Order: sequence, then C-alpha cells, then structure tokens
Amino acid sequence: MSSGILDFFKRIFVNRQNPIINDYRVNRLRPPGAVDEVRFMALCIRCNRCMEVCPYNSIRRAGFSATIGTPYVIAETKACYLCMACCRLCPTGALDRNLKEPPKVKMGKAKIEPSICYSHLFLEHDVIPTESLQKIGALCNTCYNVCPLQDRAIALKDNLYPVILDGCVGCGICVERCPTRPGRAINVIPAGMGRVDEAGFYFQKAKSNYDISQSRETSPQKPLSGEGLLEQKYRIDSGGQEPKFDFPYEKPRIKGDWD
Amino acid sequence: MYLPYRRATQFLVFGLMFVVPVLNIFEIYVITGTFYAINFGGLGVADPSVILQAIFAAGEITVPLMTAAIFPLLVAILLGRFWCGWLCPYLFVSEGIDWLRNKLCLILFRRPPKSSATIEKAFSANLTRFSFLICGTALAGAVGIPVLNYINAPAIMSAEAMMIVKERAVSLEFWFVVILLVLQLSFLPKIWCRVLCPTGSIISLFRTSVTMKVISKSRPQTTPCCKERSCLSACPMGLAPYREAGNLLCVNCGKCIDSCRFNRLQFTGFQIDDAAPVIPRQQSDS
Repeated sequence: MSSGILDFFKRIFVNRQNPIINDYRVNRLRPPGAVDEVRFMALCIRCNRCMEVCPYNSIRRAGFSATIGTPYVIAETKACYLCMACCRLCPTGALDRNLKEPPKVKMGKAKIEPSICYSHLFLEHDVIPTESLQKIGALCNTCYNVCPLQDRAIALKDNLYPVILDGCVGCGICVERCPTRPGRAINVIPAGMGRVDEAGFYFQKAKSNYDISQSRETSPQKPLSGEGLLEQKYRIDSGGQEPKFDFPYEKPRIKGDWD
Repeated sequence: MYLPYRRATQFLVFGLMFVVPVLNIFEIYVITGTFYAINFGGLGVADPSVILQAIFAAGEITVPLMTAAIFPLLVAILLGRFWCGWLCPYLFVSEGIDWLRNKLCLILFRRPPKSSATIEKAFSANLTRFSFLICGTALAGAVGIPVLNYINAPAIMSAEAMMIVKERAVSLEFWFVVILLVLQLSFLPKIWCRVLCPTGSIISLFRTSVTMKVISKSRPQTTPCCKERSCLSACPMGLAPYREAGNLLCVNCGKCIDSCRFNRLQFTGFQIDDAAPVIPRQQSDS
C-alpha cells in the first residue's frame, strides 16, 4: 500500500510523469528531432528560433498551459514538411542537431480511423460515404498520395486502402490533407503518448488507441522500384496483367439450352 | 556624453526586435532568435540565466548549453552589465515609464514622487534579486521546467514582437509585461530591473578586477557633493552614485557620469585626468 503511494509520488515528482510536463494531445506534435517530452520541457528555453526559420510557418507557439511558448506543430492546420531547417539551430539541444534525414524523425505515428476513412468505408463496409465520391467514382487514398515517405510510412493494402507502416515519422501531412470533416480519418499520435514510461497520466487514455494502431501495423515494406513498381502499376490499371478476381459463384459447367 | 550613443543603441535594438522577424519572413537568416537565445550570423548567444535554468532542469551540462553562454559571460566580464544598460529593451521602456511617472506626479500632485525605487536600500535590493534567482533556479531544478523563462520580461518582449509581426497576435505573456509596466508606473517603481531580473543578477555576478565600472571620486562619500544630487536623480536603477558607484546594481549606463558637473564619476578605463579636484562638501556648497 505504502509502496504504491511512494511509487505514485516517485512517478510524478522524480520521473516527472505529470500532466503539467507530459501534456500530450493528438495531432499536436513537437518539431522534428525533439528529444523526449520530459527532457524537451527542461531544455527548451522558448527562444522560438525554430519558429522563425520554419519556411512553411508550421511551427506555432503554444498558448496558455505549462508549455506556454514552446514550439508545436499543429498537424490539422499546417503539418511539418520535413525540411529539417529547425533541428540544426536549436541552441540547447532540445532538438537534435545532428538529425538531417527525414526518415529518422520520430514525431509520432499516424493512425487510421476505419470508421470514418472513405476507402475503408467503401471497401470494408460497402458504403459510399458522400455524394461527391459517388459522382467521381474514385477511392480517396489522399493520405497515401501526399505522404513524403510513400511505401515506407504508408502503403496501400491490396492496392486499395491505406495502412500505416513502421516507417511513419508522424509529420502530419496526411492529417492536414485528409478530406473527412469534422473529424479526420487519420490522426497522428505524438511520440511518447503511447509509451508507459513517458506518457504518465495520459497513458491509460492513450493505451487503447495505441494498441489498435499497433495491431494494424504490418511489417515494413521496401519502397518499390524498377520492375516491381511497374508491376504494381500494371496491377492497378490492369493494363499489362490479368487481375485476379475472386469469383464467389460457381461457374455453370454445362451450358443450358434456351428452354 | 554617453546618453546619445546609448539611446541610439537602445532604439536600434528595439527596432531590430520587429525588423528581424520581417527579415526572417523573407528568409534572410542573418539574425535569428529572441532574447532567450539569439544568433548573429553563426555566433550563438543565450541568456545566461536561461542556460543556468536549463542546466538545472535537465540535470546535465551539454556542450551546446555551455557554448551558448560563453559570449555573454565574456561581455559581462569585460563590460559589466552592458547588456542591461545599453541593449535591454525592458530598461529602455522602463526609463520611459519612470520619466512618465515623474511627469504625472508633478501634474497630479504638484510634487515629485516620494519613492524612486521599490526597495530603497541597495543591499536589500541585491539580496532580494539574488535570492529570487536562486529560488527560481532551484524551482526549475525541482519541477523540471525552466520556470523563470515564463517571466523573463525583455525576452518576452522580443518574443511578443515576433508574434505580432508573424502571427498578428499576442499571447498571455504580453499582458504580463503590460501589468509589470503598469505596476512600475503606479506604486512599484523599478520593480523588475532592481528587485527581480534574473538575467541582470547573473550578469552582475561576473565582476572581476578588469570589469568596467563607475568609480566615485567624491569625498566624503557618505554625503552628496552637490545640492541638487544630480547623479541620484539621474540613475535609472535608483542608486546614489556618489557613494554607491560600482554597486552590483549599476548597469554602466553613464547617466550619472553625464550629470556630474565636477566629473567626479568616471568609468574605469575611460578616466579623465582633468577632473575637478576632490573638495569636501562644505567648500563646494559655499
């Protein structure tokens, strides 16, 4: 009993897993290269240099909370385009200076909500979600098309609907462009929100979502190139190869007569 | 005469707070940052008090943290509180507020304001601001957030200038600075620079024998050497330079040096030989 209380206080005051420091929110991310949240809050001196150099105006200053003044990327309004301009000038090392390759960024991880996603709705539940889609007769897959790390972070399962892979860095471009309203069908869960050792109080809340996103992951695919890519594209438009359709009905063996 | 040069640099810094974000919008990154940490074409400079807090909050000393604090401390060792007196945008505004306070008091009550500083004794003021710095840094270490950054007035001013230029909005901290200035105008004169400012405290700690400071040649130092006590009314930090010249509160602004008609106050390193002879008070009065 007493050890439980001790652990509780240790977690809050020594490991600093409290809602003041671990203030996570879905689709609100730290800039690329940010160290883990507890260290970030200690090291970030709120000088806003990352904000000033961001050519896309992606990085915003946090409003009223314990994190006031620290940088955030609000994925819904403007996502991070992974130009990596902010990392190299952080004066205190709250953003990793040596990080230059976008695939190594760990801002978070995207998660698709199948109950809203147009592609999932259409393919799994056979529902055409909106009239506009009915007219154009196309699948959405916007998230796949805008992803800067195509086939590493996101892939089209069966070439039909998007799934998130391990390579997702959480830049949030898919969230920015996702057409569903009011809620987005794809959301980025910030790094640390789903981990027990970092998330603190938010863990219980985030755990179920995180488990779902974990279970949806498949093994990382290599980005297709050359013949593989060609083959995939042929399969999509079925120009080159015969697509394999599962025909659920038995073919009649004997041709029947007219009578 | 130091005042024109000082006003020029203060105006320049105040203007640059607004010009630098505009340049950054046009992707000219010669100067980036706010007064928490700034970068002039490669030379990284950070507020030493901010760095101290980051060290305590993170519980580690890293190379970037150390390198950021080297240049300002070098300036502090050579020129004393040069940053406070000549560059800090808050002192610039604060001097304006003090001037306004005097004017308003003369108009409203037909007499100059009673107190010119929040804590009258320089020793207690020093004690207060050093203990404030120590408590704030200890709190930063305990909580794990550099807490004094939330109230670092000059840095907030530059950050808000950037917010105004970039996003055409102000955040909550802007109103903190406004409240501080209103308090300063009403009944707590010189509250920030004299009693609280952590940056000024940490800069004034780096005083060595080579540091530029004001020396007083007034004898005896216990009493002012002229009737008007011009140096006392000139000092923006509320010191009495005839006896407290070179106090840790002194920001090396040179106002007292300009005001002294006997040239009895001088900067070390800029001493003038033809200073008026040191005369006891009784003789100078007669």
